[in-house]
Amino acid sequence: MHRAARTCDSLNVSMAGAHSVSIDDELKTFLEGPVSVLVGTRDSRLVPEITRAWGARVAEDRQRVSLCVPLATSRKTLDNLESNGEIAVTFSLPTNCRTFQLKGRHATAAEPDGSDLAAVERHRDAFAAINEPLGHPRQYVERFWRAEIETSAVLVKILFAPEQVFDQTPGPGAGRSL
Amino acid sequence: MSAAVSPLAVALESIATCFEGIIPASICSCSPDGTPNLTYLSIVHRVDSRHVGLSHQFFNKTKENILQNPFVQVVVVSPSNLRQYRLDLRFERTESQGPVFDRVKTRLDAVASQTGMSHVFRLHGVDIFKVLDCRPTTAETGGEGLHRVDYLPQIEEFTARLAGCSGLESVINLSLDALSALFGYDHSFLMVPDEDGKRLFTLASRGFGESGIGSEAWIGEGILGIAAERREVVRITNFSRDVLYSKAVRSTLEHRGEDSLLEREIALPGLPQVKSQLVAPLVAHERLLGILCLQSETAGRFLSDDERVVRIIASQMAASMALLERVESSKPQEIPRPPPTVRSTATATIKHYKADDSIFIDDAYLIKGIAGRIFWKLLQSYADSGRVDFTNKEIRLDASLQLPDIKDNLEARLILLRRRLQERCDFISMNPVGRGQLRLDVQRQLRLEERL
Repeated sequence: MHRAARTCDSLNVSMAGAHSVSIDDELKTFLEGPVSVLVGTRDSRLVPEITRAWGARVAEDRQRVSLCVPLATSRKTLDNLESNGEIAVTFSLPTNCRTFQLKGRHATAAEPDGSDLAAVERHRDAFAAINEPLGHPRQYVERFWRAEIETSAVLVKILFAPEQVFDQTPGPGAGRSL
Repeated sequence: MSAAVSPLAVALESIATCFEGIIPASICSCSPDGTPNLTYLSIVHRVDSRHVGLSHQFFNKTKENILQNPFVQVVVVSPSNLRQYRLDLRFERTESQGPVFDRVKTRLDAVASQTGMSHVFRLHGVDIFKVLDCRPTTAETGGEGLHRVDYLPQIEEFTARLAGCSGLESVINLSLDALSALFGYDHSFLMVPDEDGKRLFTLASRGFGESGIGSEAWIGEGILGIAAERREVVRITNFSRDVLYSKAVRSTLEHRGEDSLLEREIALPGLPQVKSQLVAPLVAHERLLGILCLQSETAGRFLSDDERVVRIIASQMAASMALLERVESSKPQEIPRPPPTVRSTATATIKHYKADDSIFIDDAYLIKGIAGRIFWKLLQSYADSGRVDFTNKEIRLDASLQLPDIKDNLEARLILLRRRLQERCDFISMNPVGRGQLRLDVQRQLRLEERL
């Protein structure tokens, strides 16, 4: 994991088109890696909502990102996206707190296909594995999604084109736009 | 407002461990133009049943947003079962003084100082939010389902044992033993301030590979030093594993360039994989008498209930220590008869270096400073006249020792010397015989050498 963390220092996010950014190989590897993923949205009164997401994938065009949220925990999030589409997603690596935030304006929801669900399984597996050396056994980390599955196993896919990428790694430089 | 009296779906008290900083929380704010911003938080402080506080160290997007739109959501995670809770909050005010600010600042400064980051981390304020709602992210309701331990019987037992102590050393030994036996705090050490109030030195420890007795730390630096200086409890629930305690202290000292002023031969007691630490000041009559430090290799080992228990224990210990100082100095003593001394024919060389009063026994370091000076004086007297019995009072009054204002600290220095001898020398011991008296027991011929 150190390799991914180090190479993220030299991320090259180039502007592609009027609003969306193009995601390079290194950022793609990071976003699809064993990171903790949280989605932020807001309602019409600008009241925010947070939910945990799984299985992020960067599309072939390198301009769109998809991820899955459990319906059990994300009804308000999905309502918010339907009403305004504003989204912020943070990706953070537990081993070194390396963190990136992606923001987009036109996120939409869809039904996940087989490859999306496979990405969720891969992500959860990798997330549990990276936490083990930090002293968190797999059975413990699995509780993150066990409670979601017990309530409802349904996943919903969220799609968006990031317009801004921020390096959010803790410290005085946090929030730097890339 | 009616919302102020309606209970939260989940009471903050029922998910207390979510507010210990063991697992990172997250916060989502929203700008006036409707753009959400999501970031991680190392800790959410529970202020009261309807308020939480967030430390504000850098001006960032979250801060910019809450000044324009006060509504935020925070998600906290329970370390016991990884349940997540959504807290809908409304920003109320920023506090830059007062008890909440001081509590947050002490913790932040202690960690910053420990990691050599004091120049980077500075607490500007604590942002106080009203909690509008608190609920689990999934359908099930309720708190963490934690069982609370009732510590009252153990505290009662502790105070009963403490009442039987007759001297500083017994207070310290009994307390550290009881912390382990009654409360399961198996790794502890106690430090006391030196004569000029600049350093702490370790007087006793339990549960470490090396006892660390005689090791030192600066008052005002690092977690130990900040707890001592501010007389505040510092509780760390999740040391990152690469910030190892002793190493971090060492690097702080190297920055100061004053390393030579600290005891360098003896390392501080510390667990190699320390994750949790609780440091409590021992204060009586508004005087700092020492600090008590607990460590654990388990993250989140010391929670708010542990802090309360240790605060009670620390104040009991400090009161006993202060009381026994007075008892000792007011009671006249009789010197008991010395026993016949049995000596072997083996000879040991004791060297005293005047520059720093360091003592070496057969070239092995024993101690330096005031304890070294006292030891040398006792040995000289022993060599000159065969004397083995001494009183604390005569040591205290001995002008040739040129002791600084040691009257409150002599007992601690003697305990330190006795313990170092126990650990490092098997043919000289210094044993208490009645209150305020000690006896040298020397089992070899000694050759004393004075060096510059």
